[in-house]
Amino acid sequence: MAEAVTKKAPSNKATVTLTIDGRSVTVDKGTTVLEAARSLGIHVPTFCWHPKLKSVGSCRMCYVEIEKMPKLQVSCATEAMDGMVVATDSDLVKQGRRAVIEFILMNHPLDCPTCDQGGECQLQDLTFAHAIDDSRFAFQKERFVEDGSVSTFDDVQIGPEIMLNRNRCIQCYKCVRANKEAFGEFDLGAFERGNITEINAAPGRQVDNPFSGNLAEICPVGALTGMDWRYKIRVWLTKTVSSICPFTASGVNTLMYMDETKNRIYRTTSRRNDEIDDGWLSNVSRYAYQVVHADDRLLTPFIRRDGKQVEATWDEALDLIAKRLSDIQDQKGCVCIGGLVSPRLDNATLYGFNKLMRHVIGTNNVDYRTEYRMLPQTPEDHYQAACSQPIRISDVDDSDVIVVFGSDMLKEHPNLYLRIRKAFNFGAARIFILNPYSTKASDVAELEMVYHAGMDEVALGAVCLTAVEKGIVSSDETDRLREAIAFDSASAAALACGLEPDHLELMARAMAEARKVTFLAGEIISRSREREPIAAAICNLNRLFSINTKGQFGILPGHSNSRGAHHLGLAPDPPASIKAKLRSLWGQYPDTETNTTDSMMVQMRKEEIDGLIIMGANPVMLYPDRAFARESLEKLDFLVVSDLFETETTELADVVLPLSSWAEYTGDYVNLEGRVQTASKAIHPIGDSRPGYAIVEAIADRLENTLYTAEDYRRDEIDTMLEVDTACPVPNLYVPSKGGQDEDDAEYPIALMIGDDPHHRGHYTEKSASLTSHVGEAYLELSPDLAAGHEIKEGDSVRIESPVGKVVLPARISEHIRNDIVFVPRNFPSAPVTSLLMRKRRIDRVRISKVVR
Amino acid sequence: MSFYSPVRTNASEVAESDRLHLLKYAEDPNQCSIDTYVQRGGYGAWRKALTSMKPEEVITAIKDSGLRGRGGAGFPTGMKWGFVPKDSPKPRYLICNADESEPGTCKDRVIMERDPHAMIEGMAIAAYAIGSHLMFVYIRGEFAHCADQVEKAMNEAYAQGQLGKNIHGSGYDLDMIVHTGGGAYICGEETALLNSLEGLRGMSRIRPPFPAVAGLYGCPTIVNNVESLASVPHIINRGADWYRSLGTEKSAGSKLFSLSGHIKQPGNYEVELGFSLKTLIYDPKYGGGILDDKKLKGVIPGGASTPLLTPDMIEVGLDYESLPEKGSMLGSGAVIVFHEETCIVWVIQRLIHFFRHESCGKCTPCHEGTAWLEKLINRVESGKGEEGDIEKIDDICSNILGRTVCPLGDAAVMPIQSAIELYRDEWEHHIRHGKCLVKSQFGLK
Repeated sequence: MAEAVTKKAPSNKATVTLTIDGRSVTVDKGTTVLEAARSLGIHVPTFCWHPKLKSVGSCRMCYVEIEKMPKLQVSCATEAMDGMVVATDSDLVKQGRRAVIEFILMNHPLDCPTCDQGGECQLQDLTFAHAIDDSRFAFQKERFVEDGSVSTFDDVQIGPEIMLNRNRCIQCYKCVRANKEAFGEFDLGAFERGNITEINAAPGRQVDNPFSGNLAEICPVGALTGMDWRYKIRVWLTKTVSSICPFTASGVNTLMYMDETKNRIYRTTSRRNDEIDDGWLSNVSRYAYQVVHADDRLLTPFIRRDGKQVEATWDEALDLIAKRLSDIQDQKGCVCIGGLVSPRLDNATLYGFNKLMRHVIGTNNVDYRTEYRMLPQTPEDHYQAACSQPIRISDVDDSDVIVVFGSDMLKEHPNLYLRIRKAFNFGAARIFILNPYSTKASDVAELEMVYHAGMDEVALGAVCLTAVEKGIVSSDETDRLREAIAFDSASAAALACGLEPDHLELMARAMAEARKVTFLAGEIISRSREREPIAAAICNLNRLFSINTKGQFGILPGHSNSRGAHHLGLAPDPPASIKAKLRSLWGQYPDTETNTTDSMMVQMRKEEIDGLIIMGANPVMLYPDRAFARESLEKLDFLVVSDLFETETTELADVVLPLSSWAEYTGDYVNLEGRVQTASKAIHPIGDSRPGYAIVEAIADRLENTLYTAEDYRRDEIDTMLEVDTACPVPNLYVPSKGGQDEDDAEYPIALMIGDDPHHRGHYTEKSASLTSHVGEAYLELSPDLAAGHEIKEGDSVRIESPVGKVVLPARISEHIRNDIVFVPRNFPSAPVTSLLMRKRRIDRVRISKVVR
Repeated sequence: MSFYSPVRTNASEVAESDRLHLLKYAEDPNQCSIDTYVQRGGYGAWRKALTSMKPEEVITAIKDSGLRGRGGAGFPTGMKWGFVPKDSPKPRYLICNADESEPGTCKDRVIMERDPHAMIEGMAIAAYAIGSHLMFVYIRGEFAHCADQVEKAMNEAYAQGQLGKNIHGSGYDLDMIVHTGGGAYICGEETALLNSLEGLRGMSRIRPPFPAVAGLYGCPTIVNNVESLASVPHIINRGADWYRSLGTEKSAGSKLFSLSGHIKQPGNYEVELGFSLKTLIYDPKYGGGILDDKKLKGVIPGGASTPLLTPDMIEVGLDYESLPEKGSMLGSGAVIVFHEETCIVWVIQRLIHFFRHESCGKCTPCHEGTAWLEKLINRVESGKGEEGDIEKIDDICSNILGRTVCPLGDAAVMPIQSAIELYRDEWEHHIRHGKCLVKSQFGLK
């Protein structure tokens, strides 16, 4: 394991000591009285306070009495000082709090029996705690009445998943503040003033930002409730289970609310972990649970008979798999079998899959990267080095320079995106973004530098050359660096990638002067054919600016257990340390040729691989060359696919096995930091589905080679593997970083970028109704100028053509994208956008035209 | 001049006085033109400060003068300026608070209407003292004519090189922005003003940090009242000792008082601090007595948010120390006079309506409490009050007083509590008899 993430080192901050309710406590200077009290386990009640937002002191519930201060003080906004003597439970404090509750209850409807917040309402709880049974307020309560509202409760739906009841609002403004301070969103606001202040959607807007689900969660009362949870079940009838979001590489901590009798999950909330998520969930993490209960889940195995897939029992399916795999092994050898597995699956499944393929079957045809093009058979040393660097999410907070390179953070790592916003809003970070297209984080960036698509390594080279030429950093290997970059001067490199010399200098100076730098690269790099030279450029940048000695850098893994897959040896040719450990565990390790997803497909076409097992992956949909992937798989003699749903890939399968989701068994996942986290079993497997680890173990059993002779061995072997140090060394010299370029094609002038929509991630999420209610279909994002040039208006159908395919999508015009590039989300099976891609291209190019009806 | 509102002043008295100064040219429309202003010595203090004084010397002069904030809180101006951190690398801002909205107060308006250059000159000196190169004036939205007047004066100042780049060859740059509010009382509170200026909702901020450390856009910011700033050039010109010789020992200088209500000669009068309230009301030079020679019933001495005074309490000096001894405050200097035929419950109903309407919606006790108080006071005023309502009103006031972020909550309840204490019989009469105790022109008969 890279490192067991340790607790934060004790801070060197100055401390203060104060007395709270007669107990002495020492806290860091700058801590509030409220937090000091909570550190003693003294619960001071609050409504408007939130640990991750700035204190505003508006609800006035957290009163305390402090000696030498005549008035009651709000503890959330009072800094703890040396020698303070605080009472949190004096008669005056109690009187003050009772008065606040009395004020709040004045206009608050007592509709608790029909309020979804009932049972988890802070106002209900605190009224109860203060035993307030009567009101001196003898007037009609103020009431917001919505014109044309059919509901007697004056509810207004303000977003796809958010219901607003203004009468219940207690004006804590937590929703508006979180939206602005934490998410940088402005689709919700406060209108009017005084006691008729109302929270509502911004005029003409819906509250549909990618973090909007948090607003209902943090509302202390039932003013904002989630549509998915509304009127379904009372909170006290549910049981909570700790889980992990399987759609984020950060491994966001979640809590699932389930009803045992119905074997059903009703909602997901945050399970705050300050080192990972700060208690914020992206909507993907929040509504992903609906995937589990989608009504088209695969419930039984299927076997292809006479060209048709028909229902079968597990025994029939497993027998068939064992027989066909044995046949291939006997007739053509074990190298003719391959396996592809999804890096979203848990450690036990991934490790079991690896052991099945390499140990039981004896092949090195194993890969977990089914979405990356042109993976070479030779190890990519610089890419591996950049991918295996230690990264700590919480270290983003106090970085003073943050560089985002080749990553659309909001879409790839929503929680890191929030961390970056936090470092800007709450810290002192200067943020620089280098991307081939403009991204949502630009509003907190000091500079967003948009380079020409396909010029990733040149952009970094230009930064390095600028730093050297301007004397910002000194290096005695300048010649080597120039040679590595393959440009003679900063100005030539800047011109080639389309960046301003002034901007490059500003960024170089910031990085050189910084005390702590975080440099994060993402999927735009990993998905590039030229990921190795780009990674070399990252290593060179690191070397020149000594980033890893004063901060952190790395290419972030794409999926919730990519890091686990790497550690458990799922790469075709894993690092030597992993191979050695596997050999010692298994007593042998195959010495056959290693094949990546890409080279396996080449071999399938040559009929050198005949049998393939796919688990949880959907290469036909997501491999960046749809026709190539499909044609390759069609050549197979025998294809086993295990998945939650019928997919483009299961269609081709000879045996389809129903896979259980992450919520149906307990599994461990390794997040992008290398932290191992557990998602507990929330419900029993749906239908006849089985967890991945159980499926691979059953196949091994049928092949008469049991994976583990005792139950404990599974965990022991995985633990042993996770202890292996897999960090690849960063090169200690400047390494060549020139990437190849495509030939120009004047017929297809526009670069096409494919990625995730902020409300979706990969496949599966389109099965969540709450996510599709935000974004339910693919679209073409293009600039206003490009649209105008083709007479395209918002919503018009646009034909997108590449040399290999054609897709028609509605236009979405965005100010944030350049004229020579378009973006399409890859998440929707109805829009097979990978059919536009060619695996050998560095940048896919297309032409667009309006569809005239 | 169409900009003029027909407010009576004691300009002629001030012109003859060697001590009073703020309203000296208040009756001369030419004073608004920079040529006249400069002819009369205007911008001399600015040139003096800029070319012959260090910023610290300016701050010391203001500290020594004893000038205290004229917006209502009375905080020593020079001390406030001294709070700006010397070593902060951030830009500093000076803001002139011209959001004059306290009911009864119209003194800043008269300065902006009739002597806008005095305010601009004071702002410039203050900006120089704190090292600010950009200053704002935040003018109450309803004062559109003041904004026009100030903007015109600002343009003249730029044209003459009093503002802009390298002023008077000193190398010092100073720019000014005129901003008008959107009509919220709360934006006169300095932190709400900062939010409003930043384009945020007008709501007060928690202090600390104080604006002098982290104000506009998180940068060191000084917010001063129009009248405070208009006093600054006179102090620089004539020295701290001279200013200190005006007024009382702890309340130095002169101040404008806006006299309104049941008074024969309402208007803006400049007097030295410590001046007798009784004289201000009755002297023919000032108020000239109660309207229709009726008997005085009470006075709100410092704007709508200060506790009331009864006739036996008006022999009091108008300064920062004497009024608190009588249980009230100097406030913004708005003296509102009621004669005997005024129903105090009706007065309070008007006030609570204002404060309920202006509560920003931040603090629970204020936004809910003022709404509840308004309902209860409406009920008492209309003669439908119940036994116990007075105690309930008083208790609700206690639950608001001192329990909110900004002073709006306090401002709303202090006059109510004093009105109950001083005129309890009228409240009780409303409740017990459903009628008003006095022959009131307005409200319940």
